[in-house]
Amino acid sequence: MAGDVHRIERRHGDDGSQSGPARRLAAILAADIAGYSRLMGIDEEGTHARVMRQRRELIDPTIVEHHGRVIKNTGDGFLAMFDSPVEAVRCAIVIQQSMVGRNATLPHAQWILYRIGVNLGDVIVETDDIFGDGVNVAARLESLAEPGSVYISGGIYEQIKNKLVCGYQSLGDQRVKNITDPVSVYRVLPDPGAVRRARRSRGLVVIGALVACGVVGVAAFYLLGGRTLFSPAPEQVAGHPPSQAAATAELTAPTPTAPVPTAPPRGETLAEPEMVPLPAGTLAMGSNDDPSERPIHHVAVKAFAIGKYPVTVREWRSCVAANACKYVAKGEDDMPVANLSWSDAQQFLAWLSQATKKEYRLPSESEWEYAARGGTASRYWWGGQPQEGAANCKGCNEPYDPKQPLKVGSFLPNPFGLYDMGGGVDQWVEDCWHRNYQGAPADGAPWLEAECPTHVLRGGSWKSEPANIRPASRDQYDANVRYLTHGFRVARTQ
Amino acid sequence: MNHPVTRRRIVKWAVPGAAALVFPGWIAAGWATTAPKDALLYFIFPHNGARIKGAFWCRFGLRNMGVTHAGDNFPNSGHHHLLVDVTAPLDPNDPIPADKNHLHFGAGQTEARIELPRGKHTLQLVLGDANHVPFNPPVISKKITVTII
Repeated sequence: MAGDVHRIERRHGDDGSQSGPARRLAAILAADIAGYSRLMGIDEEGTHARVMRQRRELIDPTIVEHHGRVIKNTGDGFLAMFDSPVEAVRCAIVIQQSMVGRNATLPHAQWILYRIGVNLGDVIVETDDIFGDGVNVAARLESLAEPGSVYISGGIYEQIKNKLVCGYQSLGDQRVKNITDPVSVYRVLPDPGAVRRARRSRGLVVIGALVACGVVGVAAFYLLGGRTLFSPAPEQVAGHPPSQAAATAELTAPTPTAPVPTAPPRGETLAEPEMVPLPAGTLAMGSNDDPSERPIHHVAVKAFAIGKYPVTVREWRSCVAANACKYVAKGEDDMPVANLSWSDAQQFLAWLSQATKKEYRLPSESEWEYAARGGTASRYWWGGQPQEGAANCKGCNEPYDPKQPLKVGSFLPNPFGLYDMGGGVDQWVEDCWHRNYQGAPADGAPWLEAECPTHVLRGGSWKSEPANIRPASRDQYDANVRYLTHGFRVARTQ
Repeated sequence: MNHPVTRRRIVKWAVPGAAALVFPGWIAAGWATTAPKDALLYFIFPHNGARIKGAFWCRFGLRNMGVTHAGDNFPNSGHHHLLVDVTAPLDPNDPIPADKNHLHFGAGQTEARIELPRGKHTLQLVLGDANHVPFNPPVISKKITVTII
């Protein structure tokens, strides 16, 4: 069907008898590589070869599969045109998800991340180029987009909102240079669960991405621009409960240039952990992989903020310097602090709360799993199978150091923008250990007892097998005993 | 599943040299905490070959050494670790792993309520020092097999 439309367009283009250029309504996809010149600076030939290979293996075939055509390639990007807005956005999602998989095995500095903008507009079609406001707006959306994400215009959104069950986050109206009316901008939340499928077979990707989007059923998002601003999305996808909402502070991948966490510019000795606000939502907690993870039960979690990374050695040392934490941490500044008991973590939280006048605490077990799943329901946030180079664990492949955890932020974040939610260091949560979820609370609160000799640990560590870094995997340990793989991340009620 | 009978036979054979079996790289160990040569770690309950219905209290016996908390550096003392169905050898220089098959008793416990799925399981005790690292020479029990019915 789409092919037919194409032929009509071609006939116009080829037919010299037309008076004036052919105009048509089209979905325009503009993409470019974030930090291209930096990548070229690091390794010109290697980068060029990789970009060309991706174009050949991934981008061109994906565009064709979605009945689009490449209008032109620039050194660091491309412009494509589609007959259908749905196909254009599907294509964008598939490309982004495939790129996550391709980047996963590479160090940060070599990540190739596309920014993609999609707009619906009336354009002038020449044989080998297209012109018009519609193209300019697509290019503008692309330049606004976070690396690794897809931004769409209001026009596209109106066309796809009930057809493509993904998450759409309104970013408000944006002024575009030389365009009179502001353009409403939406961010598309793709499903990371499709990464694995995307890697395996492009043919399955369309279905995979869409089915998975449906599973995620994302319905509410909050503003990214301000990072700390939180506002419920103005739109909800019909037929999907908003309770399954997933949101993200920083979608998919970070910019390649983003520094691995450094101390916030606070000066003095206080290095406050960087927080990511998460919206309220529900999750199907647990799994059938282990008796301790049963039964799978629904939990409604309230909005809260959680550390973007596990607490680092640098952050811990602030507490030691203030004589509030007893354990003298070993390791480099950006490593997650480890060898901590649950009680050690409580010392840090008490000190941090007092020093910042904010109420820091450990996440509850359900909050932790909600954050770790990042809106996904798969075994791992990236899909159903362990993936090489996706996390820091024994059997997760390189990079790996058997003696100690890698620095925080060494791998891609999950869809909520959280790093190291699985592997690295085991993370203490507030809850007392219960051997399964019989009788577990459903409101996101920690499950406590009067006597609580052992507490729950989540996420597995660099010494764990891949099966034990799943978001649903649980472990336990004595509250007052230190163990070399145990760390934590902080949380705060909004 | 993986021929428990055969495995049991191996264990029997290896009992006199259990340390060598569990710690093949023992000779390389240099800095582990030393333990008295006559230290003996054993199961008070269950006994080898026991058939047990449901959950049970596993009781740990230790002679010529003392039990203390993990993190405490008192000489000639350590804390218990129970290895369930562990076949991989332990690294004598590395802390004993902590997972569903390596249960830690760093609060100084000398017994624990254990619940295992039906079928044959192996149990073995290993004493760890303040940092959960096995002693030199290693203080380990015989590996026993129990059947949960």
